[in-house]
Amino acid sequence: MRIASVFLVLILVLGIRAFLEYQNRQDLKDGEEVNFVTQIKSQPKISGSRQIVSANLDLNRILIITSPHPEFNYQDRIRVSGKLKVGVLNKNEIFILSFPKIQKIEDENSIFKFISVLRQKLIYLFERTLPSDYSSLLLGIAFGIRRNMSSEFLDNLRIAGVLHVIAASGMNITLFGGFIGGVFSFFLKRQIALFLTVSGVLFYAVLSGFEASIVRATIMGILALSAQILGRQRLSFYALMVAGYLMIFINPLTIFDIGFQLSFAATFGLLSIRPFFFFSDTIKKALNITLIGEDLIITLSAQAATLPILIANFGTYSIWSVFVNALVLWTVPILMVIGAVGGSLGIFWELAGKAVILLAFPLIFYFDKIVSLFSDLGGSLEIEDFPWQFAAGYYLILVSLVLKFKNKL
Amino acid sequence: MKKTVLIFSFLILFFGGFAVFENAKYNDGKLHVIFCNVGQGNGVFIRTPGRKNFLIDAGPDDKIIKCLERHMPFWDKTISAAFLTHPHLDHFAGLNFVIKRYSLLSFVTEDLSNKSVSFQALMDNIRSRNLKIIYVFSGDSFKLKDGTSLLILGPSYEYLDKTSPGRNIQESGEFGSLIVLLRFGSFSVLFTGDSQTEGLVQALGTEAGETDVLEVPHHGSKTGLNDKILSSLEPKLAVISAGKKNRYGHPSPFTLSLLKNFHIKTLRTDLSGDIEVVSDGESFGIKPN
Repeated sequence: MRIASVFLVLILVLGIRAFLEYQNRQDLKDGEEVNFVTQIKSQPKISGSRQIVSANLDLNRILIITSPHPEFNYQDRIRVSGKLKVGVLNKNEIFILSFPKIQKIEDENSIFKFISVLRQKLIYLFERTLPSDYSSLLLGIAFGIRRNMSSEFLDNLRIAGVLHVIAASGMNITLFGGFIGGVFSFFLKRQIALFLTVSGVLFYAVLSGFEASIVRATIMGILALSAQILGRQRLSFYALMVAGYLMIFINPLTIFDIGFQLSFAATFGLLSIRPFFFFSDTIKKALNITLIGEDLIITLSAQAATLPILIANFGTYSIWSVFVNALVLWTVPILMVIGAVGGSLGIFWELAGKAVILLAFPLIFYFDKIVSLFSDLGGSLEIEDFPWQFAAGYYLILVSLVLKFKNKL
Repeated sequence: MKKTVLIFSFLILFFGGFAVFENAKYNDGKLHVIFCNVGQGNGVFIRTPGRKNFLIDAGPDDKIIKCLERHMPFWDKTISAAFLTHPHLDHFAGLNFVIKRYSLLSFVTEDLSNKSVSFQALMDNIRSRNLKIIYVFSGDSFKLKDGTSLLILGPSYEYLDKTSPGRNIQESGEFGSLIVLLRFGSFSVLFTGDSQTEGLVQALGTEAGETDVLEVPHHGSKTGLNDKILSSLEPKLAVISAGKKNRYGHPSPFTLSLLKNFHIKTLRTDLSGDIEVVSDGESFGIKPN
């Protein structure tokens, strides 16, 4: 009873917070002069003589059309001023700024400046080592850094249902941490392993650019890892809830951020679904023998918990999706390690870094071939509207299954 | 730990196999000329028997990168020289992407500028990377140890002076364009950029020899070729680089029927995609995609 009332109060407070946020929202009109600062939310697309940048002004998405030079990048902070125009994109009304004044805001803070230089160096290293689509894929998988891909390659990833490997930066952190945590705790005492894993994840977050979604994912990832290594599931579970609550409280719009949804759900999956695989001793033994069993389980747990989010956001569901994922997902943790190690090494010693990154080539080649094979097969369903009732139902069933079997562990 | 070692041994093994395969595929001691399918624009990649890479124009966008990746081994990231036939967007814009991903050693072009923002941005980009910039006129040539040579046939200093006195061109209007002859043994290819008949006739001069492959000038526009040029060059193959359903209507029916009248086999990038011509210095063949 007491828990229920605390819960109720918390929800109420959150509701008030969200209402205030909504009240302060700004309405935009056609022809309005705007002047705002924003951070670029996805990699701008360059086609011919135009560069298209997607930006947010409060709750409104704004499409900025500008010349291809200077080139802007994902996560750049820009000041934009110009006159809004209403246009239509995919049957939806959208605000367009055509050739506005854009000024890039350089980070004043020397730490952020340093990180941004580090990031540029990292991107340069990868793009000089691998073919364009492959470097974009590896940068996405390993660091959540989004770069331009050819539309053909991007379509293949989408149709085969594996695009989430580059979009889910939160899941990346959890997977990366899970992997190095596993390696460390194999050799070292729990506490030392935890310390090293957390440091590894933090360094990774630095390389990924310390963007808000990555920071959130890092916090949640560290929670999940601590639980995994220390063996305290329940504590981490509460911590995850508190962290999620605070993040939404600070900025209610966070809840619509796909990065937040994915990291929250993936962490939830790791905390609550993963333990079931260790239920029986036979499975445990089997996992120890197989090459990629542990990685597969981490991936599967995260997948099961994020499935509706992935379908709702990436719009396409291939009947081969589960099969393709099973075929390629085992490469993701390995690619992540190759990318993370090669990237970190290459910052200090370019040649060695390149050598490590080149090792990813056969894996991405395999990834690419499987994905293009299955996307050519067809059998994909375009889901334009994914009803929220399905997602709600899915999570209700998932949570009740978890609760039901938890007592049996 | 055993597992990690096993995975990495697999990777190294696979990697080695792949490298051997690509080495055999791309380093065959022959000359490869690829007319890249860059959409509406021009972009040609040349890989010489001695494994040197050259580029003549780079198309309007990053499509050129995919073409390079399809025709170079994955570890090779050096391009000896990029030739720019003239400063128009559909020929130079792709260079921005090439410079980013490859080590380009020198940039070769005619002494002609375009005041457009994009061309100035490219030149700034090139200067900031300390690339060697070489301005060429007719008569200049580049000779390689493997027997390949690139000769500049046009434009001449006088021709440029006459057609573009301020050494500037606008986005429209095609006058001086580099005309480059590639030779390997008895095999030759003539690259014409966006030349017009007048410039081409002047560049070929009186001693125009036969050429095996002709890149049809200006994406097959009706002002690029005439029967005089064709009868003196007698090409066995003509290649047109144009985009699907482009707004200029390239290639023109006039040029196509002219080529047909001369019984010249004609290939188009908008219909065939990348067009790869391979030669051992005597004969040549078209490699299917």
